[in-house]
Amino acid sequence: MSTRYAGARVPRNEDPALLRGRGLFVDDLALPNLAHAAVLRSPHAHARIVRIDAGRARRAPGVAAVLTHADLGEFGGPLPMLIPHPTLIHPKTQQPLASSVVRHVGEPVALVVAESRYAAEDASDLIEVEYAPLPAAVDLTAAAAPGAPLVHANTGTNVCAHYTQRVGDVEHAMALAPHRFRERLVVDRGTASPIETRGVVASWDPRTQRLEIWDSTQAPIPIRNGLAAMFHLPQPSVRVVAPDVGGGFGPKVMMFYPEEILVPLAAMRLGRPVKWIEDRREHFVATNQEREQIHDAEIGLDETGRILALRTVFLYDAGAYCPYGLIVPIVASTTLPGPYRLPNYHAEFNAVFTNKTTVSPYRGAGRPHGVFVMERLLDRAACELGIDRTEIRRRNLIQPDEFPYAVGLIYQDNAPVEYDSGNYPRCLEHATEMIGYAGWADQQAAYRAAGRCVGLGVACYVEGTGIGPYEGCRVTVDPSGKVFVSTGVGTQGQGHMTSFAQLVADQLGVTPRDVVVRTGDTDGFRWGTGTFASRAAVVAGTAASLAAQAVREKTQLVAATLLEARPKEIDLAEGKVFVRGVPARALSLGEVAAAANPLRFAMPAEWEGPGLEATRYFAPPRGTFSNGVHACIVEVDPETGMVSLLRYVVVHDCGRLINPMIVEGQIHGGVAQGIGGAYWEKLAYDAQGQPLATTFMDYLLPTAVEVPPIEVGHEETPTPLNPLGVKGAGEAGVIPVGAAIAQAVEDALRPFDIHITEMPLSPNRVRQLVAKARRTP
Amino acid sequence: MKPAAFEYHTPRTVDEAVALLARYGEEGKVLAGGQSLVPLMNMRLARPANIIDINRIDALAYLRRERGVLRLGALTRQRAAERSPIIAQHCPILRDALRLVGHAQIRNRGTVGGSIAHADPAGELTAILLALDGEVTVRGPKRTRVIAAADLFVTYLTTSLDPHELLIEVRFPLPPEGAGWSWMEIARRHGDFALAGVGVVLAVRRGRIAEARIGLTGVGPTPVRAAQAERGLVGQPPSTALWAEAAEAVRGAVEPDGDIHASAEYRKHVAGVLTLRALQEAYERARKVA
Amino acid sequence: MKIDGTNTLPASVDTVWKTINDPEALRRCTPGLKELKAISPDNYAATLQIGIAAVKGTYAGTLRITDKQAPTHYRIILEGTGGAGFMKGEGTVDLEPQGDGTLLKWVGDIQIGGLIAGVGQRMLGGIGKMLIGQFFKCLEESLGSGS
Repeated sequence: MSTRYAGARVPRNEDPALLRGRGLFVDDLALPNLAHAAVLRSPHAHARIVRIDAGRARRAPGVAAVLTHADLGEFGGPLPMLIPHPTLIHPKTQQPLASSVVRHVGEPVALVVAESRYAAEDASDLIEVEYAPLPAAVDLTAAAAPGAPLVHANTGTNVCAHYTQRVGDVEHAMALAPHRFRERLVVDRGTASPIETRGVVASWDPRTQRLEIWDSTQAPIPIRNGLAAMFHLPQPSVRVVAPDVGGGFGPKVMMFYPEEILVPLAAMRLGRPVKWIEDRREHFVATNQEREQIHDAEIGLDETGRILALRTVFLYDAGAYCPYGLIVPIVASTTLPGPYRLPNYHAEFNAVFTNKTTVSPYRGAGRPHGVFVMERLLDRAACELGIDRTEIRRRNLIQPDEFPYAVGLIYQDNAPVEYDSGNYPRCLEHATEMIGYAGWADQQAAYRAAGRCVGLGVACYVEGTGIGPYEGCRVTVDPSGKVFVSTGVGTQGQGHMTSFAQLVADQLGVTPRDVVVRTGDTDGFRWGTGTFASRAAVVAGTAASLAAQAVREKTQLVAATLLEARPKEIDLAEGKVFVRGVPARALSLGEVAAAANPLRFAMPAEWEGPGLEATRYFAPPRGTFSNGVHACIVEVDPETGMVSLLRYVVVHDCGRLINPMIVEGQIHGGVAQGIGGAYWEKLAYDAQGQPLATTFMDYLLPTAVEVPPIEVGHEETPTPLNPLGVKGAGEAGVIPVGAAIAQAVEDALRPFDIHITEMPLSPNRVRQLVAKARRTP
Repeated sequence: MKPAAFEYHTPRTVDEAVALLARYGEEGKVLAGGQSLVPLMNMRLARPANIIDINRIDALAYLRRERGVLRLGALTRQRAAERSPIIAQHCPILRDALRLVGHAQIRNRGTVGGSIAHADPAGELTAILLALDGEVTVRGPKRTRVIAAADLFVTYLTTSLDPHELLIEVRFPLPPEGAGWSWMEIARRHGDFALAGVGVVLAVRRGRIAEARIGLTGVGPTPVRAAQAERGLVGQPPSTALWAEAAEAVRGAVEPDGDIHASAEYRKHVAGVLTLRALQEAYERARKVA
Repeated sequence: MKIDGTNTLPASVDTVWKTINDPEALRRCTPGLKELKAISPDNYAATLQIGIAAVKGTYAGTLRITDKQAPTHYRIILEGTGGAGFMKGEGTVDLEPQGDGTLLKWVGDIQIGGLIAGVGQRMLGGIGKMLIGQFFKCLEESLGSGS
């Protein structure tokens, strides 16, 4: 078996169609008699609904229906709790339409269905809703305090969960530590901003009694299963398709968003297809957000800078509802130890309801926070102890011969955090070499002499990826010679049509262009959980490889019969199947596929069925841990606080690379989002819970001008946890960016001795720090 | 984000446009580049019952230099002005500022007249019009009149045009030959609204400042002419200390608003920093006439 | 948004007090206030048409005067809801004699919500202050003209 394509920079299969505008996104769907929906949303962060009157709206021209909670019947109850947790004592989820209370700006109150979106919005204007505003819990610290306005009246508190994970004995170790440093670290709210907003199209066919849904979701199979259960239909009666999806990044995994229930319900009741496309302003209030956490952390070290103990107690802003449970804060807690030996650790958090948009994972899902806390504490220690910042890290790194390394914590998949493989010191060396750390002091001195404030930052991280429960894949060779691959994960830009094709092509001796990968259609593949948590390549990719291997073996079996040889003598290469050493007497792969499906006469028993087709599943017992180091050089104008990024280096180890070009693309995107979260992107809310940045005018995404070229170095320590040796790479780019930039800005402004403990920064904030500087140069 | 229903009109001449404005007045809105108006309509923050699309009035698109004045028809696209050799040669501060107005795609459609009439408090062109003592010609149903820049900008997004008037020409008096110039602004990203912006024009003769113009944007409801700072410069020999004094005077002359991107204090501080740097750059560019 | 200020008005405390309680004067001077209909003493139904440039909206709501301590103190609350959002302005007004005129001290809180807050944050603060300034300018003018 050759490994020709795995590891190669194969151009993507998905690109020719996408670049020509021939993709199919949910808004491209045009069904006969399609009606269009608009959602009326709460303008208040917290209010009682006194009265809703949709009479005028129902009578407006072109209106097919207006739904309020009163019209939902049995479908008005709270939506499912997607990920419960034993410590989540107030598992609150929202209703598809608010009945008596609205708890964040943007919460759906009514659905209007009309001949066009224009008409639906016109009718929406006519719905009369009388609200009685209630005090809102907005500030995270205030919301957690006793006496705060309650987001959910019957809970008595806004704290919906309190969870502690412990390793060793932090109290004892901290008390004995010769050096202790404390920090309060704050990260503010952000949103993933996929280029495509959400959207749902639903169609009910009374003749076949089938519900068909197109949904810009990352997890079509759970949506299918959930909708079938909700509408009392057997699963085969529901089909969910995630067509081309323009970016997911986490927030598109839900079960369910209200619209995912309302649109199918409307379609079934009206007997015509209904389309709802979220506009960007809605997206800013109605699609899940993330990132808001406040950590009070303390680190204890010995004289040489070795970490003895670390404690963090933090608040996690859950938003108005918590369908996604405690994944984000658990991931933050379990990511914090990083690549370092941490013998005594205490991570404790309170998850807090606020009257702001619901929170669920956004790329990184808490890992950026864990890294920010650890790296800022190490930087503080390095500064105070007079130890070089890369040296203090080196002294604490887990060594390559210490794997598997048990961290002592429980990860988001309920399995112990056990680092399976990696070479942390080598990644650090590689990154410091790429950024030119050795010569940095001299270079910086030269900049300073020229009146420029330029700084360098380095940050390390370890990332849990590739968790279960499972994914599956079916590989089928078609008599045309093309190979069809079907899997349950969805694709939102990760290049699965290429990377999975590479794995299959290697097994079957074809080119990746001959392999057609289909994802995201529950009719195509029925079993799976979705694309999230940097797992698709690991779990679905392994399943694809296993299925392709099984097809290869079947091909050998069938060809052996046709070519009168033994299966082990059969080779597959260049689309052909032949006896090794006798390429002249070859069959095409397609011919073998046709021959494997006889129309008459007996079929050999050892074939165990017709066709060149196999389905395999992969259920990893636990996740595999990627790691990396980022380094950057920034320039700061102390007078204006403006920060520009001059260089950005990533060294990244995700085990064996299937397609380095695709991995680099993933990293570039993640870094850009991390840069946004470090210096530009902030979802501001006022004291009444009104969101103030609901357009891209005010929620600032870094553009090509602001993001420097990203230099990527690869390391590969294959994991023993799957046959491919691959680890996840989807979220990596975003994880340590804030920490690296914070260190770099401090380094640039070293003469002023400023200290950064928050994300995102801004010119205003940097200027404030300079103005309040402890030193003036 | 779909606009409310409206009637759509496409006049071919200025007279037709003005007649429509006379008829619809408050219920009518002129559509030129649409880069500000259309998003407001899509969000239903603006619901004009009548849109008067002037993009087909070819007579309003021109750019010429006449007797020391730059005359731009209201429909001159920002991109055309940005790339105009006349502007590059005779009024380069305008070119430099235009490069920072949004992005090229926006400037392809946005117009100079529209920008002035829209009077965004962080706009670049309004500050330059004020600094250069420019003026606009507006045509109404009963009369045509000229409004000087000093009388044009009333408050946020509001000029002294009345609802029946159409802005038809913008005039920038050219800076003196050999004058130095500088446009500097602080924005969160390339193309964003300026947190503060300063335009400076300096003429130098016999080793002293002969003429100084300082216009600021993003520091209040309308562009600001730092007249006191200008007076402090004229007749003085240039020096870093002189620029610093002017910067302080500018800080004293502005009362910016704060928002989620920057506080009032920051904008005030940065207005001074930019003034100092812009004066330095303008001076370096000025031809020193003996 | 918290705001406050002082204005000196060219009339006696009693005259100023009468004026700021007079629904006609309030209707005339409150920017955008088109209709003020008494529901009960010191309690009015209000219709506001307010906006800047192309951004215009109609808001229906109430104007209430409470906490009256004649002739020197009251609390005034104006709130309205419309398509583009909602607003609530609440303030206390205190009068004291100053020479021949009156020193009016006001402390207020304006909350703006809905679409307009999420899109217009850049200018809302300044516009709010400007509108309040217009109110007092109008009061000043009507008192100055002796009406």
